[in-house]
Amino acid sequence: MTEQAMRPQFMGARVKRVEDPRLLTGQARYVDDIEVPGMLEVAFVRSPHAAAKILSMDLEAARHAPGVRAVWTFEDCPVMLWQRDTYEVGQPVLAHDEVRYVGEPIVAIIAENRYLAEDAAELVTIRYETKTPVLDMVDAIAESPRRVHPEAQNVFFHKVYASKGFDEAFNAAEHHLSETFRTTRQTAVTLEPRCTAAMLDPASGRMTIYASTQSPHRVRSDMCELLGWDENQIRVIVPEVGGGFGMKANTYPEDIIVVSAAQKLRKPVKWVSDRTESLLSDVHARDDIHEAEVAFNSDGKIVGFRDHLMADGGAYPAYPFSGAVGETSLASRVLTGPYDIPYIATTIDCTYSNKTPLGAYRGVWGPIASFVQEGLIDRVARALGKDPADIRRINMIRPDQFPYRNSAGMVYDQGSYGESMEEALKLVDYKEFRRRQDTLRHEGRYVGIGISVFVEPTAMASSEAGSVGYESVFIRIEPTGKVTAAFGLGPTGQGHETTMAQLIADQVGVNFEDVVILHGDTDSAPFGGGTGGSRSGPIGGGAALVAGREMRARLVKLAAHLLEAGEEDIELGAGKAWVAGVPDRAMTIKELAEVAYTHVKRIPEGLPIGLELVARYQPKRAVSFSNGTHIAEVEVDVLSGLIRVLNYVVVNDCGRLINPMIVEGQIQGGVAQGIGSAFLESLRYDEHGQLVTTSLMDYLLPEATEVPRITTRHLVTPSEGEGGIKGMGEGSLIGAPAALVNAVSDALAPFGAMVRQLPVLPNDVLDWVNA
Amino acid sequence: MKPGAFEYRKATTVKDAVAWLHSDLNSKILAGGQSLVPVMNFRLAHPSLLVDINEIAALHQITFNADTVTLGALVRHQEMAESTEVRDRLPLLAVTARHIGHWAIRNRGTLGGSLAHADPASEWPAVMVALEAQIQVEGPDGARTIPASEFYLGYYTTELAADEIVTAVTISRTRHRLGFAEVARRPGDFALAGSIVEDFGDGQGSVTWFGVAGKPERVVLALPEEESARARSFQSALGKLSQLDDDRHRQQLAVTVAERAFQHSRLTGHEYLTFEGGQV
Amino acid sequence: MATKTPIRLTINHESYDVEVEPRWLLSDVIRHQLGLIGTHVGCEQGVCGACTILVDGKPERSCLVFAVQAEGADITTVEGLSTDPQHLTALQESFRDHHALQCGYCTSGMLLTATALLKKEPHPTEDAIREALSGNVCRCTGYQFIVDAILAVANGSKEVQE
Repeated sequence: MTEQAMRPQFMGARVKRVEDPRLLTGQARYVDDIEVPGMLEVAFVRSPHAAAKILSMDLEAARHAPGVRAVWTFEDCPVMLWQRDTYEVGQPVLAHDEVRYVGEPIVAIIAENRYLAEDAAELVTIRYETKTPVLDMVDAIAESPRRVHPEAQNVFFHKVYASKGFDEAFNAAEHHLSETFRTTRQTAVTLEPRCTAAMLDPASGRMTIYASTQSPHRVRSDMCELLGWDENQIRVIVPEVGGGFGMKANTYPEDIIVVSAAQKLRKPVKWVSDRTESLLSDVHARDDIHEAEVAFNSDGKIVGFRDHLMADGGAYPAYPFSGAVGETSLASRVLTGPYDIPYIATTIDCTYSNKTPLGAYRGVWGPIASFVQEGLIDRVARALGKDPADIRRINMIRPDQFPYRNSAGMVYDQGSYGESMEEALKLVDYKEFRRRQDTLRHEGRYVGIGISVFVEPTAMASSEAGSVGYESVFIRIEPTGKVTAAFGLGPTGQGHETTMAQLIADQVGVNFEDVVILHGDTDSAPFGGGTGGSRSGPIGGGAALVAGREMRARLVKLAAHLLEAGEEDIELGAGKAWVAGVPDRAMTIKELAEVAYTHVKRIPEGLPIGLELVARYQPKRAVSFSNGTHIAEVEVDVLSGLIRVLNYVVVNDCGRLINPMIVEGQIQGGVAQGIGSAFLESLRYDEHGQLVTTSLMDYLLPEATEVPRITTRHLVTPSEGEGGIKGMGEGSLIGAPAALVNAVSDALAPFGAMVRQLPVLPNDVLDWVNA
Repeated sequence: MKPGAFEYRKATTVKDAVAWLHSDLNSKILAGGQSLVPVMNFRLAHPSLLVDINEIAALHQITFNADTVTLGALVRHQEMAESTEVRDRLPLLAVTARHIGHWAIRNRGTLGGSLAHADPASEWPAVMVALEAQIQVEGPDGARTIPASEFYLGYYTTELAADEIVTAVTISRTRHRLGFAEVARRPGDFALAGSIVEDFGDGQGSVTWFGVAGKPERVVLALPEEESARARSFQSALGKLSQLDDDRHRQQLAVTVAERAFQHSRLTGHEYLTFEGGQV
Repeated sequence: MATKTPIRLTINHESYDVEVEPRWLLSDVIRHQLGLIGTHVGCEQGVCGACTILVDGKPERSCLVFAVQAEGADITTVEGLSTDPQHLTALQESFRDHHALQCGYCTSGMLLTATALLKKEPHPTEDAIREALSGNVCRCTGYQFIVDAILAVANGSKEVQE
């Protein structure tokens, strides 16, 4: 009986999502669905130049255009992002003396609706004196052609690291091989664009902000810091959010303008980005170069990696998380991935340029580091004439090495590295594939297979969502016996209302349907870090477990007193408490709640009135590593350059699963984004610094026809944290690009091809084939 | 991404449409709008008057005559793809239609709009040039017929005067074996390169490309049996295009798609437009 | 200010009388004038498919049509499927069963495209489903569960009919 009551019923089950009915019926409300009488809308005049001095602005015609309520320049909202000392430069929320990237906001038009705001925006005349744009990061590091910010060096982040004895060991290796890897700018492209609305509450004078964000409390803190508000004067509400993927973790200039305008005009104000604005001004990601070198011996054992990591951070460090720093610094620490590579030396240079600021996109450092690491492994295999799977076997961290400290000092908890690869190889029938590959090559068809074994650091104290290492839950059993729990998380489609309810229902002993999860409202949720860096499952979920357990202890105490039994004899489940072995001696949780709230004289001494508490959870480990293996099979059409994914297998280990269905959804979605990263998505600047990919006709996303059916298997190596949960939101996009492009290299091996750039485009294929 | 203001008028006759078009130099025809409206949303086009021709019944017709077929300007791409008559009697057109955009775009986008828009990467202009179609247009001075080969002048430019509209296109139903091929990044995207090949059956044929030059041109060429000889023939035909894109990758793809279009014509095994009941 | 034209729209079998500027996109009128917020706007470039509605039963982009053009058409938005969580359509239910949505932003367009497909072709192949959906971008799911949800309905109806 005890065992049955304690066994989780909901954790690990494929529970259908509670979010779905409102989303499926078109009843959910996103920010643009918030309509308030008198609401004004904003359109921005943005820089058409990558670099130019602003000589003059003529705003008169715009000010007198129909429906225009205000035309703002920097003087109307003199706020700089990054007022802290972290970086030497900050971004003015509206450019005033100089513009530094195409798409930088200069003038805000606030009008009765967006049509009228755009009409007025066309009437603004700005005279510029263009400057030579800084567009190449290698040149920029050398301060050429000039500094982006005269007052600061172009390199705004520089770090050097070498493991002890690196030079000696590296030089002593039998073989060396080097390669320059390059990733092209990409961006998250949430289907719901960025958007913010703000309005003063006439009764209290407080500011209500509707934000499409991953981190409600961070938005509140940023507004307080940048606009001088007090926390208790701001309420941030995050309604439905149509995707985040890291990109919605930043605070942007437009957000500041909206809030400031609502305050000064005393009107509700809304801004909804259009798609062109999104591609111009959402944080970009993945603009990196790795000059990498690997030292290895003839037996395939890798001695060390050396890497010069460079990232083009754009015109300003994105606030408050610079993607350039995030992508390089974590990459430098996890570059050896799942392999036991004893020596590493890294140099990092992050530089300014006249491009859009670089921020986070799902996986941040991971897709880049995996691409470099798995690319080097495949090069070693090809150089030695060995099977890529064998080189991985030789170098893989063995189970007996956990906890494993990698050569950059990161400590890995238990994982299933080798096992995940062997399982994945079995699933694709690797040997059979090699036979088929050989046969097809004789027919002039080029298929290839790519392996990517990845590690995914999760549940870290610091991520793009902020630097809160814990998560909090406010849990309450209502007088009716139903459970309400509020979180500071910021879900953007991950289904936290379902997964957190699963965890709490098990602990409290109620049915899943009786738990309501609240999030996205700083007035109801305890302070939290939000969603990012794959932290919501392990840290938020951990907090849910702790909160549920503490509430359970409270119920047990109350029930023991009322049922006149020892606490150790009380069982809880299915909305009831009973005495073990005596099912008739029972009270429903509703009855217990009635005592707790109404018949309070019956509460035993030492227990408070009511049933509510706040619990917090901070994992003991600084990081918990998920892991897995992706294997992709592709066919390359050597005459057209097009690549088709034929088969895709994922073996994933994220510890204990809360809801396998949701985990699989995350994996499949990440692999699709990986296909975009590997073959389709590329933000291109021309030689003048113009972004030429400003529509979804130019920035190509994977569609249903590009993404194959994905076979998924789960391995379970529990974490040491609460519930054994590890994070898993990013691993699929960390693993996928490397598997996909390694498959292309493998397919085109007869042409000597080795992919060194993400994404691989049809012209690249034609060039290899023609060479 | 909101269009600027304009005046809107709904025409029910071609005559009215032309008169309104003539009355305002900054007017535009609104047919399917699948190219025009995005451009207006981007505020790259600011027409002061939109003449909506969707309710001109005559422009929706597909008329089969003994030797020819006449397709109204407002025939939607998806109608072309799904019409049993088109599939049976003009399968090349049904095949082509399926390559245009996505379903939702095909449901609204029109043949005439595509022909008049003259995007060099789009399918219909090339198909009409390949089939030596006659494009019927009407303006304030009446109707005239322009051979497709003379209709296209270059990137997004045609013989059409600002106050003329495309009303229909007429194709001869007697043709040799035809094949179609296209390479695009994703299905529905504009072509990186596309081609229509007609095999006359006597070692001669024609090739018409899209996506590789400023305008479609039909080139008569030798179609030798031997593949590498054929590739050379396509290569030399490519050199005859007056507005060839100088991108070498595009040129390479052009030869690839021409060969694939040729193979397609073989695969189908029947003469596209003269036989009835052929499945695609 | 531009003059407004009175029009009558028929959406989900209901008539709406509304005054619009000629330039107002149908997507904006559906959402902001009529309050049918289930139609989402993702690009206004005709690419993403989030704003897909059915016009006379066929999927079209509501961001590429002016509201003035839509008079006389029979329009279906996601609210025309079912707005009652207790009585979802088979397709809506199947989307939930198969976890065919995450953030939900593309979902309305997906549901409407799939509804039209199943009406036209009750037993589509997986390839036909993927081709039909190819104009609807989903950034979250990787499409597999969406395809599965549609296949399940197609197979279910097959059993009923046979």
